[in-house]
Order: sequence, then structure tokens, then C-alpha cells
Amino acid sequence: MSTITDSMNTINSLEEMAEGNTIIHHLHPMVKLITTMLYLVLVISFNPYNITGLMVFAFYPVILMALAEIPYKPLLQRLLVALPFSFFAGLSNIIFNQQLALMIGPLPVSYGVISFTSIMVKTIFTVMAVLILIATTSLPKISYQLLAIKVPKIIVEQIMLTYRYISVLLEQVSNMYTAYILRAPASKGIKMKDMGIFVGQLLLKSFDRAESIYVAMKCRGYDGNYLYAKPSPIKKGDWLFLVLVSGILCLMRFFDLSLFIGSFL
Amino acid sequence: MLEIEKLNYAYPDGHQAIRDINLKIKEGESIALVGANGAGKSSLFKLIIGIAEINEGSIKVEELPVGKKTLKDIRRKVGMVFQNPDDQLFMTKVYDDIAFGPRNELLTEEEVEERVVNALEQLGITHLRDRMPHRLSGGEKRVIAIASVLAMNPRVILFDEPTSFLDPQARRNVINTLDSLKMTKIIATHDLDMALDICDRVIILHHGSVFADGTVKDILLDENLLSQCHLELPLCMQKPRVR
Repeated sequence: MSTITDSMNTINSLEEMAEGNTIIHHLHPMVKLITTMLYLVLVISFNPYNITGLMVFAFYPVILMALAEIPYKPLLQRLLVALPFSFFAGLSNIIFNQQLALMIGPLPVSYGVISFTSIMVKTIFTVMAVLILIATTSLPKISYQLLAIKVPKIIVEQIMLTYRYISVLLEQVSNMYTAYILRAPASKGIKMKDMGIFVGQLLLKSFDRAESIYVAMKCRGYDGNYLYAKPSPIKKGDWLFLVLVSGILCLMRFFDLSLFIGSFL
Repeated sequence: MLEIEKLNYAYPDGHQAIRDINLKIKEGESIALVGANGAGKSSLFKLIIGIAEINEGSIKVEELPVGKKTLKDIRRKVGMVFQNPDDQLFMTKVYDDIAFGPRNELLTEEEVEERVVNALEQLGITHLRDRMPHRLSGGEKRVIAIASVLAMNPRVILFDEPTSFLDPQARRNVINTLDSLKMTKIIATHDLDMALDICDRVIILHHGSVFADGTVKDILLDENLLSQCHLELPLCMQKPRVR
């Protein structure tokens, strides 16, 4: 029960962060979207065995979080949700690629361990970058920019509506769960035999809700084309941020800064 | 303003929800549509707004017949506030939610802002402009839902149970809000005290038909008539029963 409430609070807190008043919040949404996408592409494109080069990319989320005054705790909590997926995806690398790569003192390190670490680091960096984007830009603004870069309308609308209604759905789950537990006080949770009915009811209620929302939208003139508020034009400062950050990111990707810094030591 | 003639409607399963309804509603009237559960109030609303298709008869809004070809114009003239504001408010910000209708009318962003600001000012809720709808109280959500319809400048507004699930203070706020609106209002409700407060005409639906139609005094103070339709006198007219 507390998990559902926690999830609702977590979702809400991210939305509240997007209403901040920092230099990062004031940047044009398209600039933030492009830099985030560039960051994702550059991080993902790294050689799986080049961890030292990859580590330099930690600067981007760290600096952005500081500039946007985003507390690290709620972001790390969300990050934890994504980590198990990459953990299990990368585990097979350790098992199947045991070729010795290097020795750290007496400890042998295989290529599998290096690529596993690389996957985990990439996940942390990319998820953090996306979370920072959401925490500094409201979803309608991101949606508008996604449409501007020709992401299919149906996908953008699904993202927006899912994001908006996830809290309503969680509230529904919470109410149904409470009603269930009150009539099954000895039960520690929903019994497996009741789970099918519980999920089925939730699905039916979701269909009803979806139908009601659609009707309410149609009553206000919706004809399948969702119209967003046009954001203000990109300013000089936004261009400067875009050029500067893109340049630094490309430099970090194609020039081995860690080796460069190491040569002074 | 609104003319309903020989209206009949049955759901696809055959259940006859509306039976031979004839009504004439004048501009600026404030009408309470009352009746027991299943009397046909919601079905009538669906037909007026064009969500359900008329089987027989006609509905005209300012001489414009409700039909597939006229739906866009009808929905510009007629707004509807749903019973559950969570069905209506789906954006992440109050401003965007109120702006949704005007944007669909393809107005410029300046015009959209003007409409939103007017709606917020009219209802005295400018302080909620940048809030997230799902973080608001039930009463606030209800008023935002009204603002979202008001921003479309409708000639008629249909309200589906506007005071349900509200605490007394929030209920009073919503009633005051409704009272301040000067356009034609049709309010489907079980809250007969509210009807007594802000309506000048009451229509009772019973088994899909108009059972009674008259002034508030004629209808809501007639205990015998109300009981025939599974209704009671407004609470303020009942004798206090203290144990």
C-alpha cells in the first residue's frame, strides 16, 4: 500500500521539479531535447570495453543537476527501477566472455566484467539524462518538440496521456487494494486466485476511464489532432548552450580526455 | 434556444432510455434536470451533445439540428461539465487544460490566453493557473472543469451532478460559481437544495419521459409528486429528524 502511495508521490515530485526557475529550466525545450538525445547517442555508441572514456560523461548529469538544483535522491530512486533490467542483460557477458583483459593487482578482470560494467554505467548515464530532461521540462513542452522532430503523433499522445493518468490509475489500484484488504484482513496481499479478477477489473475500469476521457475531449472540440501551445522562439543564449554542450560532448566522445588528463600526471 | 421534439433513444441492447421527450428551453434559463438513477438524465445529455446518436425525433440548438454534420458547431454552442473532473482534466497544468478547447478552435495563442485568463478571472481562480490538476482538491478540480468549458464561450452548459462528492464548503463554492454564470444552464442533479437555490425551472425525468416540468416552487415543494418519482423534498424543506 505504502509502495503505491510512494510511487504516486515520486511521479508528482518529478512534475513539480519541472516548474523550477533555474537557468536549465529556462532553456528552450528543443535545445534540451537535442542535447539529451545527442548525449544518449554518444554514450550508447561507446566501445563496450572503453570505460575510462565513458566515465568523463558523468560530468553532464552532475553539472546539469547542480545547475537545475535537482535533488539527487528522487532521481536515484527512479534510476534504481531501471538498473535491474540492464543488470540481468549484462550478466550474460560475465558468464560467456571470460577472456582475461587485465589484472588489477592479483585480481583478474575479464572482458565480460568490463562490458558488464560498461552496460551498467551507460544505463546510469542515459537514464539520468532522460530524468533530468523530464525534471526540467514539462511534458507538454517535450511533447511539442517531439512532434516538431517528426515523432509519430500517436506515440507522443500516448506518452502524454499515460504520464498524466498513471497517478489516477495508481489511485484506482490503491482504492481497489484497500477495499480488498478490508474484506480479507488475514491476507498479506492479493491472493493469486484473486489476482486475475483484480487485474481484469482494473483493465475494465481503465477502458471506462479512457472512453470517458475521449468523450470529454471530443466535447471540447478534439478531432484527433492534439494542439499544443507553441513555445517561444529559440534565443541566442539557447543557441550558445546548444553549441557549447554539443561541442563538449563530441569532444569527450571523439577525443580521449581521460588519456589527455592522465598524460599530465 | 434549445428545442427537443419527439425524442426517443434506445441503447444498442434495446433498453429504452428516452421516451418521447418534448422540451423548449429559453435563453438564459437555469434548469434542474432531476430524476432517480436511470431516469435518463445522462442519456439526454449525451444526445444533446451528440455523443449518442438520436434514434427518433430531433434536437435543435439555436435552430441548428444535432447531427453528424453539425457536431463541431453544436459543441461550440453547447459545453458539458462531467461528473468526474478527472475525466475532463487530463493535462499536466491547469492553464493547458483550460486552453485545450480554445486551441481546438484554432485560435491564436494570444486569443487562447485571453480566453483562459477570462475564464480564470470569472471564476476567481487565477491563483490555480499554473497548478497541476491532479494535485488539486475535489472542489478545485470541479471549478477548473467548469473553467475549461467556460473558455469555449458556450451558449449552453450541461452540468452532470456538479455537487456530488464535495464537502459542504466546496459544494457551496461550486453552487456560487454556477449561480454566477449567466448563460443557459441545464443541471442534472440529485441535489434538490442546490436546485432550489439557483434554478428557476425544474424538469423531472421518470423512466425516460418528462414526468413534470414547472417552476421550482411548483415542483420541488410538491412532496406527493416527488415521491412518485422516487425523490424527496429538498432537505431544507423537510422536518428535522433528531434522534
